[in-house]
Amino acid sequence: MRRLAGIAAAALAAAWTVCAHAEDTVKIGLVNEATGPNAEAGVYTHNGAKLALAEINAAGGVLGKKLELKLEDNQSTNPGTVLAFSKLFGEGGIVAIIGPIRSTQIQAASPTVAKAGIPTMIGGTDPSLTKVNNRWVFRARPNDSYSSRVIADFGVNTLKKQKWAIIHSTDAFGSGGMNALTAALKSFGVTPVLVQGYTNNSQDFTPVVLAIKKSGADVIGSYMTNSPDVGIFAKQLRQLGVAAEWVGSPSVVTDTAMKLAGPALHGVYGIADFTPDATPESKAYTKLYRDTYKLDPDVYSSWAYDALRVLALAINTARSTDPEAIRKAIVSIKGWKGVEGTYNFDENGDGLRGYNVVKNEAGKVAFIKHIDFKD
Amino acid sequence: MQFVTENLQILFTGLGLGSIYALVALGFVLIIRATNVVNFAQGDFAMLGGYAMVLFFTGLGWPYWIAFIGALLAMAVFGVLFNYGVYYPLRHRSFLPVLISTLGASIFLQNTVLYVAGPQPKPLDKLLNFDGITLGGVFLDSQYIVILVATVALVFFTFLFFEKTLLGKKLQATSQDKDMARLLGIPVALMIAITFIYSAVLGGIAGVLVGPILFVSIGMGSIIALKAFAATIIGGFGDVKGAIVGGLLLGVIESLAAQHISVPYKDAYAFLALFLFLLFRPQGIFGEKVSEKA
Repeated sequence: MRRLAGIAAAALAAAWTVCAHAEDTVKIGLVNEATGPNAEAGVYTHNGAKLALAEINAAGGVLGKKLELKLEDNQSTNPGTVLAFSKLFGEGGIVAIIGPIRSTQIQAASPTVAKAGIPTMIGGTDPSLTKVNNRWVFRARPNDSYSSRVIADFGVNTLKKQKWAIIHSTDAFGSGGMNALTAALKSFGVTPVLVQGYTNNSQDFTPVVLAIKKSGADVIGSYMTNSPDVGIFAKQLRQLGVAAEWVGSPSVVTDTAMKLAGPALHGVYGIADFTPDATPESKAYTKLYRDTYKLDPDVYSSWAYDALRVLALAINTARSTDPEAIRKAIVSIKGWKGVEGTYNFDENGDGLRGYNVVKNEAGKVAFIKHIDFKD
Repeated sequence: MQFVTENLQILFTGLGLGSIYALVALGFVLIIRATNVVNFAQGDFAMLGGYAMVLFFTGLGWPYWIAFIGALLAMAVFGVLFNYGVYYPLRHRSFLPVLISTLGASIFLQNTVLYVAGPQPKPLDKLLNFDGITLGGVFLDSQYIVILVATVALVFFTFLFFEKTLLGKKLQATSQDKDMARLLGIPVALMIAITFIYSAVLGGIAGVLVGPILFVSIGMGSIIALKAFAATIIGGFGDVKGAIVGGLLLGVIESLAAQHISVPYKDAYAFLALFLFLLFRPQGIFGEKVSEKA
């Protein structure tokens, strides 16, 4: 019986290969949060990638073939991410992958990616991700060493605030951001009056808010991972009478967080790699996304849109699906205008070096300024 | 003075959260008593209640109270379905198949709601249309006040229902000894169905109450249910008083410890408390015969 099953499986596999050859597409994997606590973000990511896919295929695809997206759910977990990558690599025929947006998940899957040697676009912003001896990850977003420098620069030089409280999630993203922000503030000669971590999915932020109150901070710098946490924290912060300015990582200006928190997030500054009205490219993308999905796009969708287009561009430039050739083509992309900004890839695989500062003005995201760094 | 207001503030939110744990724990306990099984979908009852409220109130625009009653009716119907779909076919089996069945129901419910309502968490309006009041430097969130009052009222109602009405006494008899109850002419299957209905409605109320604070999301129930389960063990497995006291105690312990020791370990304190209870008082605060059920 077992042998029979074996034969059946082999036959099925053969049939699959035949099918795949018959279609003759260039396959790109998408490891995405389709289920689990981050599934809301996953929908945006999938939407963004689908828009890019349609656009690329309408323009003739890559290497004269259609591009195909193979979706793999990571259940919003680290083990799920590793499993999803292994599955895609195991299936074979995958030319490149768009990985998750969560730093902690990429950390978990990084050894798998390095071993497979397949170019992987990532959206996680922990600076170390592109510096851990893994030549195969490329970031379609600016990393947190820039986000923290932008937060610090804007808070210290534009808002003229010196008494900082840093609020961060204790996961890889939040801790990485906290370290980077502390370092960036130090370069301005500022030592935070409070550094306070919390675990994701906290139901109550009262102790955090009381600590901020006690510290006398006049500006909050935040690295929070999940939108509901931002919502709960924002409401309690204002309820308990803390009026400090707040400059946060992109999560404070996501559509979800702003809907959940309502007025509690009004007046808050966020940094965003994607801002609808920052550039002509982002304006065009926003219109396209709105027309297609009847929703406003946010960063979860825009980075995937750029990531897939970067891959298509690289494959077309390389005239090959060979991983080394794709890698070479990606790191030589300079001055390419995506919807998140202008990409200049370096040897580490980092594409962007700046952020937009935006403000939540009565529930609408308003573009304030773009801060870019050369190094 | 600042020390006092700070701790009162912490105590208030701790009690508010604790009440939610207590409400869900109460649902746990009622089903444990009636069927000897832990219902792992109890947290999802809260999630469903929250979504029903979002549908009726935000989606269809019904007045708050009509939407609230609508949500509770929907939960009552759901309780019937749950009883006949998840518990009834396995009623003659040991507790393990039933337990796995509730676990499966939990996964099924979460993914069904994900499919139907989408993954985005939904905000929900507060019951009272003011944010809260400040009393001597302590901010009292109006929704937390509602939660505390509602919990007290529900506990009182549950007590009256079980101790003072014939139906309640029949339910108690069923939970104590099914065979004896059957001999006395009590329709046991109906009694268990009623327990599921009551427990689903309780869970639904918890969901509607906590929605404005934690938002209505697919995962909202699982977080609460884990703490509520710990609360039932701390209070005494299967004890109604224990569920209430355990829930409140857990909410207060984790809030105070988060304030005075360290915030990131907030969840750890709740489970440390559970751990200590299991070590030194495994029967819980009010429990008696845990060894028999373990």
